[in-house]
Amino acid sequence: MAPALLSLAGEDVGHGNRVILPRLSLTLHAGERVALLGQSGAGKSTLLAALRRRLAGEVAWCPQSHGLVPQLAVYHNVYMGRLERHSALANLWNLVRPERRAWTEIGQLCAELGLDGLLKRPVARLSGGQRQRVAIARALYQQRRVFLGDEPVASVDPHQALRLLALIDARHATSVVALHQRELALSHFDRVWGLREGRLVLDATTDTLTLADLDRLYPDADVPPDKPADEDAHG
Amino acid sequence: MAESAAPGILRGDSPGLRLARRSLALIALCAVLLPFADLAVVAHDPWAELGRMAAGLALPHWRELSSPLHAIGLTVSVALWGTLLGVLLGFPLALVFFRSRLVRAGCAFVRAIHELFWALLFLQVFGLSAVTALAALAVPYAGIFAKVYAEILEQTPAAAADSLPPGVGRLSRFVYAELPLVWERLAAYTRYRFECSLRASVLLGFVGLPTLGFHLESAFREGHYHEAGALLWLFYLLIGSIGLWAHRRLLPLLALGCLFLLGPWPDVDAGLLWRFVSHDLWPAPLLNGDPAGLVAWLGAIPDLGPAIGNTLLLGLMGTVGALVIALLLWPLASRHFGNRASRLGGSALLIGLRSTPELMLAFIFLLLLGPSMLPAWLALALHNGALIAFLAARHADGVEPGMPDLTASGRYAYELLPRIYPGLLALLFYRAEVIIRETALLGMLGVATLGFHIDSSFQYLMFDQAFFLLLVTAGLNIVVDAVARRYRPREVVMDDPCSR
Repeated sequence: MAPALLSLAGEDVGHGNRVILPRLSLTLHAGERVALLGQSGAGKSTLLAALRRRLAGEVAWCPQSHGLVPQLAVYHNVYMGRLERHSALANLWNLVRPERRAWTEIGQLCAELGLDGLLKRPVARLSGGQRQRVAIARALYQQRRVFLGDEPVASVDPHQALRLLALIDARHATSVVALHQRELALSHFDRVWGLREGRLVLDATTDTLTLADLDRLYPDADVPPDKPADEDAHG
Repeated sequence: MAESAAPGILRGDSPGLRLARRSLALIALCAVLLPFADLAVVAHDPWAELGRMAAGLALPHWRELSSPLHAIGLTVSVALWGTLLGVLLGFPLALVFFRSRLVRAGCAFVRAIHELFWALLFLQVFGLSAVTALAALAVPYAGIFAKVYAEILEQTPAAAADSLPPGVGRLSRFVYAELPLVWERLAAYTRYRFECSLRASVLLGFVGLPTLGFHLESAFREGHYHEAGALLWLFYLLIGSIGLWAHRRLLPLLALGCLFLLGPWPDVDAGLLWRFVSHDLWPAPLLNGDPAGLVAWLGAIPDLGPAIGNTLLLGLMGTVGALVIALLLWPLASRHFGNRASRLGGSALLIGLRSTPELMLAFIFLLLLGPSMLPAWLALALHNGALIAFLAARHADGVEPGMPDLTASGRYAYELLPRIYPGLLALLFYRAEVIIRETALLGMLGVATLGFHIDSSFQYLMFDQAFFLLLVTAGLNIVVDAVARRYRPREVVMDDPCSR
């Protein structure tokens, strides 16, 4: 088996003093693609935030709220993915006049994501799906080993979701992606982590799982799992 | 079945009743204290004087204006550069505002003293010069900008900054993930403050700087009402057309042009300046370390107690007056009442009253009614009441009545007022700070508030006494602000920084 990137052994995970995932044990292996499933409020965002903290410099991060700045252009929002690699002065000047190399690079990346021609447009004037792709573009632009996404394909159609996941896979060997499309989790990922009420109740490779196994993560059968109620950022 | 009796007057636990009790207590306090205020009408024939003024306003004599363009140019230049300097000083302070108690205290202090008092102070050192005018605006505005900018920046949504990769520098994070998110609000507040500075710049004429107010004051004082009318129309035109001439794109050009209109520039004698700051401003017994002498010095200040009392009383009267005026006038500008013509007239009235500085209103009433607290009270109540009424009307316009067919009084009392009253009262309590600052200032017109004694101390060149009274004024203002904050309704719906 591939080496472990990160292991948790019975650790309490949460925000500050508030424990949301008590005594959590799991291992993230290099080269593995993990789908993270669970109802709204099950603790998905908390787990992702904890992974992000521990893997600090190695992760490309695509948060659920997108974290975009609506007043800035698409180009600048994507550029923010590498803000820490330039001096403050270079970053300031880039606001006034885009840096040539970054412009070309981000232009190509955006073309792959179907955002061509929108580089100069403020994010405020994009559609929901376009914003989601800008958030993914920013994460890809970070060029990290591990991709962490909190529902990065929630507001795009299934066809496009596949394309975006393929793009993410092409650039990251390892990924943890929170989802609510169960079929996608089985068809596209190596492993599923299932959270329920703050506990990891499912941790198995996808070749051993069926859709029925995943359904058990969603006890409220009345609520269709692929249309979660507005999940708060800390999930 | 037990039938409960209807509750007594104003009994009940709804927020509306709670606020009504609070408001009525304030009004009752004012009514009880009213006999202590000097409200005599001294002028022998105010109505004839009012007629002449109205005629002047109706038939302005444009040709009698000697150099209106120069006065307007200087007014705009002082306002623009005073605001710009205030931003330059205030913005860095805003960044450390919540981290430094010293900065907060310093800002509260410079804010608490009115622009005109600052002008009186700087006048002693820099004379009737551009430096006096600019500093008089820039110093208090730095404190105001620091506070308001800091409050706006504090409310920056955190999601964008949180999603940045680790290791991003403070400056980069600020300009990419924080500043753009609040830029609109910062700009809106700066625009509003510029409008205020335009009014303040006009007022600087009252202490002798040759802005529009200088010509206004002399025209009124000498009874040249047709000339005064023309100047007043010019002033309204200037305020009303801000959107045209102070356009965002024109601003750099305007700022550059205004730089050449500013003047005269004084010769500053560093020795004299140092003497003023280190010696003249402080009581001699304090500098000599003589406690007994200091007590005697304090005792020699005339009527300190009555001056503070009058300032507080007029402040209270002004606040209550503004509340009553606001409650009466807001329907005039609201879409829920009257017809198109009445709304247009109502809006014009409210905007006119709001745009006219208190000092100018008080000055006009003073000419009409003679020297007492009455002109100052009317001015404070009308100006602030109109300002609050206008915002309340805008707020009410956003409300969709559940029962649109009610009578006008029903709409007022059942649909609209319960919804807008908490916001209206919150605005009034915010405004209390401004009112008390203006109250002190109105002393310059002869009302026996603190400002009267500050003004005369400066005139007699008793700088130590003037400075001490300024400190008392600032302290009083800070206390009133704290009290108003304590009693302000918490459920604020109209918290617009552009009303403070």
